[in-house]
Amino acid sequence: MTTENAGLAKKLGYTNVRAFLDGIPAWIKEGYPVYASYEFVAKGNIVLLDLRKDGAAIEGRIPRAVVVPYSTLEKRANDIPRNAPVVLYSDNEEEVLNAYQDLLDDGFKNVSLVPGNYKGWVDWQYGVIVKGPIFSNEIRWVRQLGKGEVSVDEFRKATKGELPDVFVIDARTDEEIAEFGIFTNTVNIPLDEIPKRLNEIPKGKRIFVHCSTGARADLAYHELVKNGYDVKFLLLDITDPECDCEIIKPKLN
Amino acid sequence: MKKIKLTLFIPIAIMLAFLSFGCAKDMGKPSAAAKPAAVETQKQADNVYTGSVTGKSNKAKTVSIQVGQGDAAVTHMLKFDDKTTGLEFAEQGEAAIITWEQRGEDKFATVIKPKLAKLPEGVTEIKVDELFKLVEDKSPITLVDARPPFRYNPAHIPGAINIPVPVLKEKGAAVLPADKNSLIVFYCQGVT
Repeated sequence: MTTENAGLAKKLGYTNVRAFLDGIPAWIKEGYPVYASYEFVAKGNIVLLDLRKDGAAIEGRIPRAVVVPYSTLEKRANDIPRNAPVVLYSDNEEEVLNAYQDLLDDGFKNVSLVPGNYKGWVDWQYGVIVKGPIFSNEIRWVRQLGKGEVSVDEFRKATKGELPDVFVIDARTDEEIAEFGIFTNTVNIPLDEIPKRLNEIPKGKRIFVHCSTGARADLAYHELVKNGYDVKFLLLDITDPECDCEIIKPKLN
Repeated sequence: MKKIKLTLFIPIAIMLAFLSFGCAKDMGKPSAAAKPAAVETQKQADNVYTGSVTGKSNKAKTVSIQVGQGDAAVTHMLKFDDKTTGLEFAEQGEAAIITWEQRGEDKFATVIKPKLAKLPEGVTEIKVDELFKLVEDKSPITLVDARPPFRYNPAHIPGAINIPVPVLKEKGAAVLPADKNSLIVFYCQGVT
């Protein structure tokens, strides 16, 4: 879309148009900072960290911020969900940039900063603040389901046979199932065989598809959508305790 | 950490439109949604899919590619084997051209090539360090993030304004600087 926009600008008569083709990934890779919009800081499904020293946040902080003074960030890093967009602010620009770099070095992929730091927020016309004592510094975040995803709870119900209108597909290979077993009320159709085994998949039912991590299930999801199915997929490592679905173990012989 | 001093905070235009466009996905599609059915039929006939790779499974030996945009987008899944060339280009989000053949009931990818960005006439590329210098020095540039708002809002380059392709198409010069000789830099999620 960079090239398309650049082309449009040229057509509109702009003479000095350049394209940063490497884009955001290259910018972040260099350790250069990226910023969230204020709206996103206010309403996004984020982990918002206030890095200022103890006390500053009592005088005023951004709503939903968790106080993690920069000196404690390293210790708290394991409490931050890896998939969450993490937004940082402080009252010290060097400090917030260091924290940004620390988290990138630690493997966090979605880190950004509040434009203008704490002062920027206060100066923003809608930048309300919260004052007073802080009762919790627990970092809480719940992932929202993406397009086509089924919740673990609903998926588990289907494998228990509690959702008669659902047909569950295990898209793993025969070998994986021979080794690990298969969930109850589930039919195995390996991902690569789905296109030629559509006749085994009922059109009148909702389809849930899973694999070992969700990667193949995602691909199966798209294949089934293309073929007109009402389908959802499970984005979860099925060895995660959260899955908790009953398994028919392979027979040992 | 490079020495960074950024205090550039140009007021940001917040676009409320929700538009579902990717970035790399944009390649290989000069006119958006123009006769997707006809294009699709022709591509089928040629046994070539041009689009954005949506995923690859080494266990199932399949690669999936999305052809077309928005409601007209169709995702095709192809098998691959040891003879398939260019598998390194079949990474999620990459723009690719996949040639395939029918073998029995299966479609097999034979050749995978990257779809490279073609710069429009008169537009030059800028690399990350040069752009950083411009931003750091607060040079008078207009920096435009061409991604949809759901990508812009969580993380963008300081000072960037958000103008997705459909917005620029609709509003034209009204959302760009008045001075047509001033420097405009566009960026998105990157295409490699």
